Amino acid sequence: MNSQYEVLNPWADADPVPLRGISPRPADLAGKTIGLFAGYKMASKPILAEVEKGLKERFSTLKFSLFLSNEHIDVTELTNKAEFEKWLKGVDAVVCAVGD
Amino acid sequence: MLVNRGFAADARSAASGKGMPGLRILPEDVPSECTEMSKIEAGVSKAVDDIAALLTRPLSREEKSPKPNVQALPRIIFKGTFQEVNRFFYKRGWSDGLPVVPPTEEAVKEMLTGTDLPAEHVVGKLIPRLGKATVEKIAINAVMAGALPTYMPVLTAAIETLLDPRANFGGFGVSTGSWSPFWIINGPIRKDLRVESGSGALSPGNIANAAIGRAMGLIIKNIGGVRRGIEDMGVLGNPCKYSMVIAENEEESPWEPLHVEQGLHKEDSAVTVFFPNSYVQAEPLGTDAKGIMEGLIHNFSPGRGGLTTILLPPQHANVLAGEGWTKKEIAANISDYARAPARLNHFYRLITLGSGWPGQHQVPLDPNEQMRIILDPDWIRIVVAGGPGNLNGRAIGAPSRLGRTFVTKTVTLPANWDKLVKKYQDLVSSYLHY
Repeated sequence: MNSQYEVLNPWADADPVPLRGISPRPADLAGKTIGLFAGYKMASKPILAEVEKGLKERFSTLKFSLFLSNEHIDVTELTNKAEFEKWLKGVDAVVCAVGD
Repeated sequence: MLVNRGFAADARSAASGKGMPGLRILPEDVPSECTEMSKIEAGVSKAVDDIAALLTRPLSREEKSPKPNVQALPRIIFKGTFQEVNRFFYKRGWSDGLPVVPPTEEAVKEMLTGTDLPAEHVVGKLIPRLGKATVEKIAINAVMAGALPTYMPVLTAAIETLLDPRANFGGFGVSTGSWSPFWIINGPIRKDLRVESGSGALSPGNIANAAIGRAMGLIIKNIGGVRRGIEDMGVLGNPCKYSMVIAENEEESPWEPLHVEQGLHKEDSAVTVFFPNSYVQAEPLGTDAKGIMEGLIHNFSPGRGGLTTILLPPQHANVLAGEGWTKKEIAANISDYARAPARLNHFYRLITLGSGWPGQHQVPLDPNEQMRIILDPDWIRIVVAGGPGNLNGRAIGAPSRLGRTFVTKTVTLPANWDKLVKKYQDLVSSYLHY
């Protein structure tokens, strides 16, 4: 049991993932459109409905636009990616709810 | 992004892995997958001010231009005694909790005799970390698991199954559902490796069944970067993640084997994967075909209908085949007759209570109407395995959606296969009689 073992590293190398910053935030929410992105899990839509209600109470001029993902929360894997990108152009910021 | 508080670390890891470490993640207190509006209201109302702040707060330098956090580790990572190596690996989070075989240069070199692929060849990048599954990294993890060099072709094919999007490894591998890979081995390689298909095939004791599954567990962890409670959010976890490997008992099966159903030739060697989270065994309601089929049908619970492998011992398979049943007919019959009121079916709830689940399957309008537990007979595979005795089993996975299914890959053998098999095949347990 006292033999010495020189061992190789089992942890894989990974190419660095290209990093992206997040989009600039609006300075304030007056008159802005907030995108609500719902994952496919059941709770995501009602959570976002409550988010809309709560924000609307605080910022009466806010508008909202819902995007429902039937599939993934990862937008790069969406089959309706074109539809998503079009939706994204019409909003000033996005709140996403996973449902977990 | 709003996530339940318990998933915050997972969300951060996922965001970093996708190249957006600055994503603003707001932990909230809505119970996971909540169906109660009062709790959703309470959890969200506490978070609304924070949401408003996160929507408008100017970006920090790090959020605007995140910096890479890649640590290159040396190829030779440690030197020490058996115990020291094991403690080092455990502290790094590189083991499965059991002692590992030290992956020395010599041991890895021997493992690499099991493949013709060069050590630096990349079989693929395993999600979520997109770790490079080089042949050498596969071999290192195989050594740690106690595998023999002859298992390398199976491990390589098994990784190929995980890379196939139809297996949904990216979802099942990290899901709260604790889905565990179930590896089913077919073709001549079963015999070459002595993969158990008979009595207690899923119990500990056979090196091939134990080490192949264990090696894949370490590969998923150390190459894919799936760590319990960080990326793998399985609520309860799953002991099958240590190893769940079986061979089909093709010799005693009256039907064509699984890999042939999956489109390969009988003489091919193959590995099939799917991700069950439950393994259930039950006695039939009689030893004749009627009793066996009734047992198969009535031992499904309403909330557990998804991709399913029925494990039939030769006794049951041959009784059914003797009365004319084919694998497809058994699957169709189970799907037709295993029913429960729709209101008890999780799938029905997903579709009708607001999930965006694709609606390619019809569900009843009346929640009390009897609904199929397994919506599609193609979600079922029949595998003949197990020893003498009057029980059968089923491994039950998630409903198939977006093309998710059983994935089978051919095992490619190295040129010196026969010689290799001869070298390692005499490793057989010989039990003392008492």
